[in-house]
Amino acid sequence: MNAPDARAAVAAPPPPPAAAGPVLVLSAITKSYGPTIANQALSFAIAPGEVVGLIGANGAGKSTLMRILAGVALPDGGRIEVAGAEVDFARFSPQRARESGIRIVHQELSLCGSLTVAENFYVEQPTAGGRSVLWHRRFEALARTHLEAIFPGNGIDPRAPVGTLAIAQRQMVEIARASADPRLRILILDEPTSALDVRRSEDLQRFIAARAKAGVAVIFISHKLHEVAALAGRILVMRNGRLVRDAAATALAVPQMVEAMAGEAAATLATVQAASGVARTPGAVLAEISPPFAATPLRLAGGEIIGLAGLEGSGQPEFLRALHAAAGGQARAGVRCRARAAYVSGDRRGEGVFPLWNVLANATIGRIATGRALAWLNPAAEYTAARPWLDSVQLPPERQGAPILSLSGGNQQKVLMARALMTDAEIILLDDPTRGVDVAVKQEFYRLIRAAAGAGKLVVWYSSETIEFLECDRVLLFHEGEVRRTLEGAAASEDAILSAAFAERVGARAAHAPGRRGRGLGGHLPKLVPAIVLALLFALIAALNRNAASLFGLDLLAGAAVPLVFVACGQMFVVGGSEIDLGVGAFAGLANVLSATVLPARPALGLLTLALALGGYALLGLLMQARAIPAIVVTLGASFIWAGIGYALQPTPGGSAPAWLAALASGHVLGVPASIVSILAAAAVAALLNGARLGAVLRGFGANPRAMVQGGWSARYGAMLRYAIAGAFALTAGLAMTAINTASDINAGGSYTLLSIASVVVGGCALAGGEIAPLGVVCGALSLSLIGSLLGFLDVSTDYNAAVQGGLLIGILMLRQALAWRRR
Amino acid sequence: MAAAMSALAWLRANRWSFSAIGILLLWLVLAITTARFSLQSLSGVAASAAFLAVVATGQMFAVATGGGNIDLSIPSVITLSAYATMILSRGTDAGLILALPAIAAIGIVTGAANAFLILKLRIPAIIATLAVGYVLDTATLLTNRRFTTFAVSPALHALAVGRVFGVPIILLLATGLAACASLLIRRTGYGRTLMAVGQNAVAARLAGARVARVTAAAFLLSGLLASLDGALLSAHAGGAFLEMGRPYLLQSVGAVVVGGTPIFGGSATPLGTLSGAVFLILIVTTMQIAGLPGGIQDMVQGGVIIAVLAAAGSGLSRRTA
Repeated sequence: MNAPDARAAVAAPPPPPAAAGPVLVLSAITKSYGPTIANQALSFAIAPGEVVGLIGANGAGKSTLMRILAGVALPDGGRIEVAGAEVDFARFSPQRARESGIRIVHQELSLCGSLTVAENFYVEQPTAGGRSVLWHRRFEALARTHLEAIFPGNGIDPRAPVGTLAIAQRQMVEIARASADPRLRILILDEPTSALDVRRSEDLQRFIAARAKAGVAVIFISHKLHEVAALAGRILVMRNGRLVRDAAATALAVPQMVEAMAGEAAATLATVQAASGVARTPGAVLAEISPPFAATPLRLAGGEIIGLAGLEGSGQPEFLRALHAAAGGQARAGVRCRARAAYVSGDRRGEGVFPLWNVLANATIGRIATGRALAWLNPAAEYTAARPWLDSVQLPPERQGAPILSLSGGNQQKVLMARALMTDAEIILLDDPTRGVDVAVKQEFYRLIRAAAGAGKLVVWYSSETIEFLECDRVLLFHEGEVRRTLEGAAASEDAILSAAFAERVGARAAHAPGRRGRGLGGHLPKLVPAIVLALLFALIAALNRNAASLFGLDLLAGAAVPLVFVACGQMFVVGGSEIDLGVGAFAGLANVLSATVLPARPALGLLTLALALGGYALLGLLMQARAIPAIVVTLGASFIWAGIGYALQPTPGGSAPAWLAALASGHVLGVPASIVSILAAAAVAALLNGARLGAVLRGFGANPRAMVQGGWSARYGAMLRYAIAGAFALTAGLAMTAINTASDINAGGSYTLLSIASVVVGGCALAGGEIAPLGVVCGALSLSLIGSLLGFLDVSTDYNAAVQGGLLIGILMLRQALAWRRR
Repeated sequence: MAAAMSALAWLRANRWSFSAIGILLLWLVLAITTARFSLQSLSGVAASAAFLAVVATGQMFAVATGGGNIDLSIPSVITLSAYATMILSRGTDAGLILALPAIAAIGIVTGAANAFLILKLRIPAIIATLAVGYVLDTATLLTNRRFTTFAVSPALHALAVGRVFGVPIILLLATGLAACASLLIRRTGYGRTLMAVGQNAVAARLAGARVARVTAAAFLLSGLLASLDGALLSAHAGGAFLEMGRPYLLQSVGAVVVGGTPIFGGSATPLGTLSGAVFLILIVTTMQIAGLPGGIQDMVQGGVIIAVLAAAGSGLSRRTA
């Protein structure tokens, strides 16, 4: 399966349009999440070469539709045809979606940060580079070509880890990667320009036009309506899960788009505003804002409704968080609060509800969490106290005892509002609370917000729907994290807010210069730290004992380090997958016992048992993935199984090494002792594995498992591979222990578990996963082993070994944390 | 059919019942197959289970903080505090009174160190507690060098091995502890807030919870219970020895998980943990009666815990990266 050359892929024409028929047909696509209907009977068709703008407010159902097209979510009903062939949902998957030519550029970037640009291209199109061992170079060329084709002069190094790129550059990589697919028929861009400056947006528009001309259908999702108007030939408007407009772009100017998107909300606001012309008198000042949040100090008073406007990503939610922290008594630059604050997040799943509880407990937790720790809870009193508030947010009594997740998003949001109102907080912070709720609930919300302000509370309201700011007394316009303008009363019209927001953006476009992080010597220095530490330690030992520097001395020191080096390499692959293996040391111990008891007596059986043990180790990885259970407990449990087997086989230390193994240990290669050779071999094998394609896959799973699954990789495959590699290294460590000690002891392996974790940390891998650094980790393991020898030379009792090891691990992690703080 | 369905639903909702059923079945099998297993030996099982239940209750609080948190320093705390008890009490009740603050300090300081590393330095709980445990192990080794006495304070001995109407006092203590923990979790602001933190720390912070304080308290409690248990164990064993805490590493986690507390936190059942402890100890006792070697016993324990986890499945993986 030889893939076309990278250049050819760009120049190659897209698949021939299917005789002018539509490339994508949706009929009556419906999808609901619990009680929330996200997509309702969506039907439309798109022809090859068409550029369609898809717009709608947050929660209108665009993301759900994209998830369905991407094969991530299955619709409850309806049909999809791609290029004339009906999609079989039973077999649809992200992989299938891509095979049929659908590619999506996600709004939440789906890149793996610790992988290089080229490796990110690889994990999405594994076959594009052929089978060459020089796959890195192929994908570097592929990445460079496609990036240049869309964004000329981008200056992105394909060998740079994506995590070191500026956000705009990452977005460029994401776009180039999706459009690089030779099978591309339908390109879906979800907010592609949110981080791009004007020049790069224009590049993208030019590219989209060119691809459309060549027959690719493009769906362009954006909140930047002017871009949609400029680019799309046809515009689809979604609202509350339904398709409400399908019109030629010429028939839908920007104001009409806004009207179609907001429709009900606008109508609602118009009616309620007419009904409530009551002017509130501001009360005491409850919050003060100063630099860096506002150049000129602002005062916010009780009874006011303050809107936080601006384009998405201008720092409004961050400001709300700062207010919340300041109100909770923490010092925050730029904000001071004189009252308690309650926070209502529109991200119900992520920041709002407690999924195991019912409505009542979810409502009262605000009051309970801010109360005394040992306050006695009385369920009856709790209900009596909460009831009026739940009634006031119009939650029917029969739902008040229901599990929170059985409620629709709108009703969940009402519960969160009741939670905030129930506390004694004088400040109510609203973080886009009407996100994705239906119009009836929105109406309720506007009433509640007015009521809260009427009761003298200060309401600070961030909304992603500009129309909602008509409810506010004052609107603070944010840009780049600070308040740039304040609009009051009649001046705070929707048009005024929108145009002011856009004006700020255009005025500031020069500030968006991407790519500031350098990759000079400073960038590489941290990678050299483990080697430097090792060199220093060795110098110290050589200074204490001259013989250490002789070949014999080196052999002794290296020999003591061999098992740890191998165990650490195994642990490294597990940590790279964002997990920790507590059984790796015990497994090495088991391999030690097996190879010193069964293997010398009956070689065939010995090899079989070792292979079986390794298979069992890999299956553990499968089990964790299949049942979604945490690695920590499984590997802890498994460590007892490995130790138990070993102990049952050989209750007391003993056994003997097979002759060939012992010969290996005392052998030399070109005059270099086996111990040093095996350490170099461990480093080389680990580096090769890491540099190979599967290394990129393993790191990808550690960095961004969701993106990998969306990219068509199996999480179970990844986990099995990870534990098979870790097991193989631990197994080799066990063999090395047998070879060196010519005997076995089941307890000998246990101490390697913590040491291996420490080696990985010393070696420079992040515990969060995604990083594998073979040379660093080998240096780390050698250093830790040398410390043991050093303590011996210094006549320190071995009693202190454990404390030194534990203390060292903590010390290194502390140091890292301190460095991270400094960088911030 | 409907009854069966609702029974199944009840079992799912009350996951502690699995261990309770397991206890009954195992007991039944033992009673039928062996004459050696009497009510008398059951009370021995109960006493051993009670020692486990005390530390497992602490572990349960650590697990409840969520995010896959777990306290691996428990075995080291047990061993060190057992040594401290023996050395400081010198076998007298007066000495015990002097020793008590030191014992409590071992647990509290360990818990505080764990909490500091986890909350301030953002080191994963598993690594922080493992590393702290190693430091304690060295302290234990050094103490071991100066270890001379095997005399146990009479009062402590009475608590650890005494009986009231044939019921081990330690069992009453463990049951009382489970009841108190149950009340703390269900009926106090702290308990409710801890469960909120365990379910979703961000949401809890936004709801006004002092997340760091709540989490730290759970680790302090875990350390304290482990150190008190270590004191009682020293009286039970009539001395202190290296590695005496070791079995509690896996068993404390096992009792929590088998007892029905979800490993991802946010919910906890102390009575389930007690029943999980009894179940695990019953399994161990059965294996001892059957004459299985120690290695096989370890294997079975590890296997049971993995099997229970796999059977329960977490369904929703709430791992925080």
